[in-house]
Formats: sequence, structure tokens, C-alpha cells
Amino acid sequence: MRRVAILNATVFAALVAVALVAHLAGAPYVVTLATKAAIFALAGVGLNLALGYGGMVSFGHAVFFGIGGYVTGIFASHAAAGTPVLTFPFTVAGSAEMLGLWPMAMVVTALAALVIGALSLRTSGVYFIMVTLAFAQMVYYFAISWRAYGGEDGLSFYVRNSFPGLNTFAPLQFFAIAAGLLALAMGFSALVTRSRFGLALQAARANRQRVMASGIRPFALQLTAFVLSAVIVGLAGSLYADLNRFVSPAMLSWHMSGEIMVFVILGGVGRLAGPVAGAGVFILLEQVLGGVSEYWQALLGLLLLAIVLYAPGGILGLLPGGRRHV
Amino acid sequence: MSDVILNIRGLEKSFGALKATDGVTLDLRRGEIHALIGPNGAGKSTLIKQITGELRQDRGTITFEGQAIDTLDAAARARLGLARSFQVSSVVPEFTALENTMLAVLGAGGGVFRFLRPALQDRALTDPARFHLEQAGLAGREGVPASTLSHGERRRLEIAMALAMRPRAFLLDEPMAGMGAEGARDLTAILSDLRAEAPILLVEHDMDAVFALADRISVLVYGRIIATGPVAEIRANPEVRRSYLGEEA
Repeated sequence: MRRVAILNATVFAALVAVALVAHLAGAPYVVTLATKAAIFALAGVGLNLALGYGGMVSFGHAVFFGIGGYVTGIFASHAAAGTPVLTFPFTVAGSAEMLGLWPMAMVVTALAALVIGALSLRTSGVYFIMVTLAFAQMVYYFAISWRAYGGEDGLSFYVRNSFPGLNTFAPLQFFAIAAGLLALAMGFSALVTRSRFGLALQAARANRQRVMASGIRPFALQLTAFVLSAVIVGLAGSLYADLNRFVSPAMLSWHMSGEIMVFVILGGVGRLAGPVAGAGVFILLEQVLGGVSEYWQALLGLLLLAIVLYAPGGILGLLPGGRRHV
Repeated sequence: MSDVILNIRGLEKSFGALKATDGVTLDLRRGEIHALIGPNGAGKSTLIKQITGELRQDRGTITFEGQAIDTLDAAARARLGLARSFQVSSVVPEFTALENTMLAVLGAGGGVFRFLRPALQDRALTDPARFHLEQAGLAGREGVPASTLSHGERRRLEIAMALAMRPRAFLLDEPMAGMGAEGARDLTAILSDLRAEAPILLVEHDMDAVFALADRISVLVYGRIIATGPVAEIRANPEVRRSYLGEEA
């Protein structure tokens, strides 16, 4: 138990160390890469709640990443233009404040997840994968045809949203925001998975029949986990929009869903720091191998294959202290 | 009537042309162990599943403590105190014995939607779970993952989980299945004590155990109850001897 906590803290600390060293060495580009890794890790921590602990293989979590991103982009672009987001049935002004945008992004993703989850969870197995994918693709095509917000070209906003007391344009400060939220999400995830709810959720993944016989309905557990998971991914999407100051339908595409899944599987399914290791290694490979060949994803594929076949615990399962405890 | 906890009337269930349950009428009374015996394929498991709510009957009614439960799902019936064990051990393999039992305590007591406090430090869950594990003869095995428990221990874990459900009645589906003679003897003693907690509807192939434990026996053949009565009466019943006990008694 203790060793796992140390391992999780070490993985997180490694990410922070990379950003700090890069900052001191005068390599802001690397700090930005570490920020990207932290944001992807945050999305992975979110998906891990549904996929790892809840056993719900969602192939549509990009929809929440994208919704978080679009909410941020839409509010930010309206704030820049000085126009309201909505005038009917009530007036909603734009915003360029992260502390206002995050809750907004999280609430909208929660509502979307409630609808998508309630419908998808009527199925299971392969059908669940397909239904979540179908929902994500629906929203993806909607975004492509939504001219008002850039359609296929996406939506740019030129000023990164602000956070009280910080200069969000300074790479290290923006990294601190992303890493802080990642730490919060990991802490939240650790609490939830050990709670009564987490006990029942993990039981429902492993043995649905037994959970029913214990007087607990798996549906409500899984829907709750699905929504919590989506909200964290939506928050990551909001940060990602701010990182690039740009949102596009690509954030909603099935490629993105697949990538978030890769972070989780590469790092270790159902392990707290798994997505952090997974996202970190993903970004590292993208940088190192991507420079060598544009077909670097073929190598990523081989690595994934090796992990799934020979190390189902992912990267974390290979590290000391990473052995499964519960 | 108040003596009857579980009352099954005219239950019918067909799968295509096969009548798996053909007009079964059965009751379970306070303080008794009522054994349900019958050859393989007689429809015992199908009957149990209709009582637990995993299957819905085509016709007939099931009343539990005076309340018709026909429209309730398995989770709702479990919360009323209908505690079942499975023919093939059905526990959460990656959970420890303690965590498995805590799950049953949680289901019976409610309060699933609590997100922040570690369940393993929640004495409202762990204390009853430890108590019931001890009752089922698993003291000292709390921290062992269910997947590494022996077969007999897993059968006991099922009993502990049923006990943790605050049961008003037990439905035990072949609790002795696959146990050695010694294990079966130990479990017989435990089941005998269970009677004090709540009455038991016991599906069992081990005739020594059935004759040692049961107050009444019902014999199910081809989806029909061909006889119900005290042990001695069933042993002497010529139809039962012919259709079922023939090879053993």
C-alpha cells in the first residue's frame, strides 16, 4: 500500500522535475511539452475512472475533451469580441477567467455525459464501445458543420485565459496550473476509488451478478462514475484549449478518444499514476521518434502490443512497487 | 400464515417448448431448513433464479414476508433480506475476503454513494464484515484475496456474504458443491447454526447433508414438485424413491 503511494508520487514528481529543469535550462518549449503531458495525463486520470475502475471501455471520451475545449474557446472568443454567448432565454456573457471557465466546461460536460452515459450503459461489451464512439462522432460532425465557431477550421482565441495572481503566458506558471489540477484529480481519484462508492464500482466491474445479489444496482454506480470521469476529461479539454489558444473538431475525433485510451493502457489500467506515466511516455516518443520518422505511431503500436501482451499492468506494473495490491 | 416467510404459488416458466418450472407451489416457514432436491435438469436453479429475481416467471406469484415481490428486480429483493449464495462461487476475485463481505454489508445497509472516506477505515462496514467472516469460520483469513482462497473457503465466504445481507431468508444453491467430506461436515454444522438467523431454502445434492439438516424436503422432477414433507416421509415415499432416490436410498 505504502509503496504504491510512493510510486505514484514519484511519477508525478518526475513530470514536475522535467518542467523545472527545462525552465532553469531555458527551454520553454520543453516546459510546454510537459504541460501538454500533464493535460493529457489529466484526461487519462479521468478516463481511468470509467475504464480502469468502472470497467466501461468508452471509445468516445474525446467528446468530453472536445466539449470542455469548445466551451472554453466559445466563451473566450466572445469575451475577446465583447459579445454575449447567449441572448435567449437569458443573457450569458463571455469569459476569459479560468476560474469561471472551468466550472462552465465541467457542468456542460457533466450534462453531456449524463445523457450519453444513460443511453450507452443500456448496452455492454462491444456495443458499449460502439455506442460511445457513435455519440462522439455525432458531436464531431456537428462541430465540423458549426460555422459560427469555425466549423472545420476550428476556433482561435488570441489571449490565453487568465488566472488570478499568475501570468498564464509564462510557460512554467501555466504548467503549475495544469500540474496542480492533475494533482487534485489524482487525489480525488484516490479517494473515490477507496470509498464505499469505489468498492461497489470495482465490484460491479468484476462481478455484476454479485453486486445485484448484494442489493446494489450497477447502473447508478456506473453512470455516476461515467459522469465523474467525463467531468475530469472536460476540465482537461478546457486546459488543452488554453494551451493551444485554439480548438478544433480534432479534439472531438475518435483519434483523440484512442489517444486518451492509449495513455491509460500504456501507463497501467486502473492505476492512479498510470495515465501520468502513459501520457509522459507518449509525448516523449512523439518528440523523439517523431523527429526520426513520421511513421512513429507504428512503433507506438508495437510498444502497445508488447504492453498488452506481456505487461498488462502497463509501465507502472513494471516499476518497483507497481505490483497490483487490491 | 404469518409463519410463512416465502410463499410461492403456481409458478411457471418456459424456455421455448421446455417447461422448466411447471406449476411450482412451495413455502418457507420461520425457523426451518427446507431442502429442495431433484435430479440434474429438474429446474432447481431456474426456480431459485425466479425467486431471486434474476429471471421473471411467466405465471404465478412470489410473496416474501407478506409482500408480492414479482415486480422487484434482484437488487430490490436482496435489500428486502432475500440472501442468496451461488451454485458456482460468485465472489469478487480481486477483493479480499473482508472486502467481499464489506460489499454485502454495504448493500444491506445502504449509503453506497459516499465518495471520500476510505471504506477500509469505515468501521460501520468492517466490524460487521469481520463478525460475519468469523461466523462463517473464516477468522484470520480476512486479508486474503478471494482468488487465492481454497474452494471450501470460498463457499464459506459466500455464507459470510449472505449473513452480512441482514437476511430474512437464505437461498443457498448447492453450498456443498465440490467440497470434500470433511469440508461438507464442517459446513453442515455452520448451516445448522444459520437456521437461528433466518430460514433456509437449501438446494443440495449431498444427501447426507440434506437428511442431517432439513426439516422438510421438496422433490422437484421435470419442473414439478412431486412431494413435500418431513424427512422420514420423503425417504419412505415410493414415487420419490423411484424417480430420484432410487439409486441412493
